[in-house]
Amino acid sequence: MNIHASDPPETSVLSLPPEQVKIDIQGLDFFYGAKQALFGVQVGFARNAVTALIGPSGCGKSTLLRTLNRMYSLYPGQKAQGRVLLEGDDILSPRTNLSALRARIGMVFQKPTPFPMSIFDNVAYGVRLYETLSKPDMAARVEESLRRAALWDEVKDKLKDSGLGLSGGQQQRLCVARAIAVKPEIILLDEPASALDPISTARLEETISDLKGDYTVVIVTHNMGQAARLSDHTGFMYLGTLVEFGETDRVFTNPVTSRARDYITGRFG
Amino acid sequence: MSASGSQRLSRRVGNVAFLSFCWAATALALTALAAILWSLISQGVGGLELAVFTESTPAPGSQGGLLNAILGSIMMCGLAMAAATFVGVLAGTWLSEYARDSAYGKVVRFINDVLLSAPSILVGLFIYGILVAPMKGFSGYAGAAALALIAAPVITRTTEDVLRLQPVSLREASVALGAPVWKTIWAVIWRSAQAGMLTGALLAFARISGETAPLLFTALNNQFLSLDLGGPTANLPVVIFQFALSAYDDWRRLAWTGALLIAAAVLGVTVLARILAREPARS
Repeated sequence: MNIHASDPPETSVLSLPPEQVKIDIQGLDFFYGAKQALFGVQVGFARNAVTALIGPSGCGKSTLLRTLNRMYSLYPGQKAQGRVLLEGDDILSPRTNLSALRARIGMVFQKPTPFPMSIFDNVAYGVRLYETLSKPDMAARVEESLRRAALWDEVKDKLKDSGLGLSGGQQQRLCVARAIAVKPEIILLDEPASALDPISTARLEETISDLKGDYTVVIVTHNMGQAARLSDHTGFMYLGTLVEFGETDRVFTNPVTSRARDYITGRFG
Repeated sequence: MSASGSQRLSRRVGNVAFLSFCWAATALALTALAAILWSLISQGVGGLELAVFTESTPAPGSQGGLLNAILGSIMMCGLAMAAATFVGVLAGTWLSEYARDSAYGKVVRFINDVLLSAPSILVGLFIYGILVAPMKGFSGYAGAAALALIAAPVITRTTEDVLRLQPVSLREASVALGAPVWKTIWAVIWRSAQAGMLTGALLAFARISGETAPLLFTALNNQFLSLDLGGPTANLPVVIFQFALSAYDDWRRLAWTGALLIAAAVLGVTVLARILAREPARS
């Protein structure tokens, strides 16, 4: 750890002004059983902006993401310590209503996960959980969501067909549409393009850029070009620690920590 | 060169020997199946006439059919399947979704596996002990209970297995939208697994449709047409058992026809299960 003992700092995390912060993570430790996966993560994610998390496999990016919507709570044996404040409320508190929390935070996974139902019902599924809309309102909501996910033109004539019949890229955009249909405040994307071909990836990236004005987006990615193209802030993680966090341009052009520099310039990772 | 050549030869010989063995084993199994089907069809088709479906089991030497046995079997199997599917689907879901790693779940899973392979005659005796003897009478309900007890572990097991195959990501995707776990199971996981669950239920039906031993102790038999499951109830397996062992030619012919009917029903259900299992899940 003290290879570069003299010059570059071990960690460098930019503190955003409090009024910009949507999610405030304070001293977050995470455990898979006895194995610790996150060590004292301390960072704020900005409102209505895209934050990218990069780092080598197993560094804790996805773990951090899955903490933000308490997905880990499905599994006994996984636990988080510290505080994660969403608009001031600690979501790690045992009193948190998990379903209500997750309705505020959409998530798109690595592999497309369409439900075994029609395209329309895939998008309407989450909406029906919390809202009772009239038929035309629901149709409008579904159309709006599919349009935002840049999928509408491809599926408008086959909304009754199974969502399983779409291509991988279309399925992933369907999952994006499904996530935004419930009007969340935050969207978490866990390597959303890793199973897609380049053209589908490009379309998905357009979709994500379009979302940023209205949503707080956190994206985990292995693709550094993607992180550089999409995000306003970038966090580099290594071995469960948030090593460097700052403006994306700054992190990519002038990383301060030696770990981030080595990773971004391709010396390891 | 010669070393590698001989190696290649020995591999080829091994391949041919193994393939021939597989072919022979398959042929043996298929021959047995064909022989059973042939004897069923050749001996059963002759008795297949309208009276089989319109008249009840006859006294020796008189005209009759199997209507009472067919109806009794349908009623008891139907009731048994309704009860067993209800219990089995819920138990299998509990084992897969709520008790996957719990100690209690492991115990229940083990006991279910024991029940799965319990001899059906024991199940019949058990129901005799708890239902027939205290109520002082054989009944169709007791028969249905015995059949349900045989079908439920099959459905529990297949339901659990099929649900476990559903990807974790599907559960997480639903939960991430704010759906409670029960809603996720109900609306997403069951729907995704429906073809497999249906196959399991149909296989359980195929299993109980030919069970004889448990019915001997519970439903017994009934010479007359009766829609009341509260008393002894006619059913195909017991009628076949009784008629096939009799000394009367017309009874034996009806037994063959009954056996053919069961085989046809099981075959039909199995084929249906195959088709449904292949069909991709649609809404």
